Amino acid sequence: MLKATIEADIFRETIDAVSALVNECRLHVDEKGIRTITVDTSNVAMVSLELSASAFLTFAAEPCEIGLDIEKIRSMMSMIGKTDIVSLELDDSGKKLKISFGGYEYSITLLDTKTIRKDPNAPNLNLPATFEVPGAMFYDAIKASGMVSDKISLAVSADTCVFTMNAEGDSDRIKRELAGDDVHYITCADARSLFSLDYLKDMGKSIGRAEKVQIRLGTDHPVQFSFVYAGGKGSVGYLLAPRIEAD
Amino acid sequence: MQFVEFAAICNTIEETSSRLATADILAEKFPLLTEEELPVFVRFMRGKLFPDWSSEKLGFGPNLLYDALAYVIGKKRSYVVSAINNAGDIGKVVESLLEKREQTMFFSEELDLLDVNGRFLQMAKSSGRRSQQERLRSAQYLLSNATPLEGRYLARLMLEEMRIGVGEGVVKDAVSKAFGVPSDVIEHAHQALNDLGEVAFLAKTDPGRLTEVHITAFRPVKMMLAQQGSITSMVETHGKLAAENKYDGSRFQFHKSGGKCAIYSRRLEEMTASLPDVVGMLDKATDHDVIIDGEVIAIMNGKPMPFQTILRRIRRKHDIGDATEAITLLPWVFDILSADGETLIDLPFRERRRILESVMNAYVAPQIVSDSAEEIEAYYHASLDSGNEGIMLKVLDSPYLPGNRGKLWIKIKPEVDTIDLVVTGAEWGEGKRAKMFGSFLLACQDENGDLLEISRVATGIDDSMLSTLYDLFKDKIIAEKGKTVTFEPDVVFEVGYAELQKSTNYEAGYALRFPRFVRLRDDKDVSEIETLDSLTRRYSLQNKEE
Repeated sequence: MLKATIEADIFRETIDAVSALVNECRLHVDEKGIRTITVDTSNVAMVSLELSASAFLTFAAEPCEIGLDIEKIRSMMSMIGKTDIVSLELDDSGKKLKISFGGYEYSITLLDTKTIRKDPNAPNLNLPATFEVPGAMFYDAIKASGMVSDKISLAVSADTCVFTMNAEGDSDRIKRELAGDDVHYITCADARSLFSLDYLKDMGKSIGRAEKVQIRLGTDHPVQFSFVYAGGKGSVGYLLAPRIEAD
Repeated sequence: MQFVEFAAICNTIEETSSRLATADILAEKFPLLTEEELPVFVRFMRGKLFPDWSSEKLGFGPNLLYDALAYVIGKKRSYVVSAINNAGDIGKVVESLLEKREQTMFFSEELDLLDVNGRFLQMAKSSGRRSQQERLRSAQYLLSNATPLEGRYLARLMLEEMRIGVGEGVVKDAVSKAFGVPSDVIEHAHQALNDLGEVAFLAKTDPGRLTEVHITAFRPVKMMLAQQGSITSMVETHGKLAAENKYDGSRFQFHKSGGKCAIYSRRLEEMTASLPDVVGMLDKATDHDVIIDGEVIAIMNGKPMPFQTILRRIRRKHDIGDATEAITLLPWVFDILSADGETLIDLPFRERRRILESVMNAYVAPQIVSDSAEEIEAYYHASLDSGNEGIMLKVLDSPYLPGNRGKLWIKIKPEVDTIDLVVTGAEWGEGKRAKMFGSFLLACQDENGDLLEISRVATGIDDSMLSTLYDLFKDKIIAEKGKTVTFEPDVVFEVGYAELQKSTNYEAGYALRFPRFVRLRDDKDVSEIETLDSLTRRYSLQNKEE
């Protein structure tokens, strides 16, 4: 059972964060809120999202799992006005979700949760460098890097505590260093890994909206991004597997 | 079955040249597979991802494969392309490049035959904004998890070209042997089901059902084909025969069931959306659920138009509305395979014809029945005069044999020296044709379906056809070296020539003198091109005449 209302903006950010990586997901619903964890088609990127019941205007739920075609919902998003209130209601059969907003009522057929890949276990990672940067600053650097290369190295130097993003193309290079007030370290340690910009660009849009994003980085290890939205009542985690340079 | 094991079997078979030994290897493996794995295994062995009746496509060409591979190994696309240009065999290039990989994953998984199949199905059904990206990521996933040898066969499967010498015949023999089912039962079931995977599945699980299979609506079966022959020898052998016009059109199979209609091409591709008018005409012509065989011809200003006109319509996917006004299409139906759920292919032709006439209130192709060679000869000339290609002679007792090119249907048409060959490559043109392909390299096939080059053709192609051909081939390029490009071999040309000569310049051992392009045969599959055997026959026939 699920019957809830939510502000359009929060609904949009929720859908965008997940649809950046996957077309469908399994949503776990209970009285505390909604959450999902899922891995992309190529097993290279992972997204987890939690939105607490208090982020909704009204929220009533009993524990259940629903299979969402995120891509369908995303494509309908342009119909939703900025100030609309979106109401969500699971029908009695549990096979359809009614999404109502601004005079529209959209009934979407849910996916059989059996056909969705089972939830991945988030890997236990030892990532030595942990720090926070402004989301927009990070996303800008990703966008710029995309102009010269398809991969980027993210590195922290323990000596200088500078966070360096470096993208090298065939002929051109873009480097962005963040230091001083722009980076807040929780632990400063040596770390350097290489990542595909393809995935970072997808994740970057949601990251860019966050005031601060926490980055955890290791050497030739995955990178983890976490940030909150909906006034701290929602949280998103992205995990991206590194590229290992062949010599 | 782990995919690595599947790859090892493919490798063994690839190194086996004997057809018999190949069938033995398969017959030994079939019983070890689960009910779910068997049909997939059978299709994969032949480089098929879907049943033969299915119009489903993976939507994955060589270009996406290059992108996926470049991504996984962390090299530029151009590096991959040049490796393929140097080696030629995509499978083997993938195998050697996969030794080094750059992208890591959260979970590396050993590939399983059914998972691989599942990924392919997912790729085929993906649509919308991100479909290309999703296909690419699926391919990246597969290549990231594959051992180099698995990579070789994954790449070939993605391009649906296995080329390990497993043909339909070998699979049928192996199924028969593995499950102790007589080969005629296998053959018959295959004709109706048009999916060797399902035939193998039934042979394993419930062989009794193989004799009861029915032709089902919206699962097209292969069309019955005809050999060349002569009127006199047919009359001598069979006496009374049916003679019908041989239309210069495009063969189709029309299905109607439960108020729904679909039309399929000779290659069993669904053409319902391209031919809405023809579908509508046939729908109105019967109240029964039917599967019928026929040919559609094009008429403009009351005159029959050449076959090319129809192909242009079929190839066209947009602006159907405009095209339907310029030319009229007219279907002629001449056989019926199923009526109101009952499979009719085992009935004699005369009986099927009676049923066809009773269920259709229009478009039944005219026919004469005669045992007089003179009368048939006159019918032949009248048919030619009214713009047809010739006539078809059909044995009245003959069943409908899907996919069979036997002696029960004979085509009579004027001698023309044209042959159907597959295009394997081309050279870029010169001057104002520099951005087009100038001459095309053609191949025939040997008995294993291996392609042998036999000729080049450059004449007979006008500017508009050149640009059509450029559009058709530009996404089929698998290798490029200097001015020469290699294509995925799946487009068939009909080519005319003055004489067939022995030659050491081409792999086939023959060459065409004065080859000229006659037309595109979009309706023909690469498996239907000229064989080395029939070339040899042509050669001896030609020399006898001199």
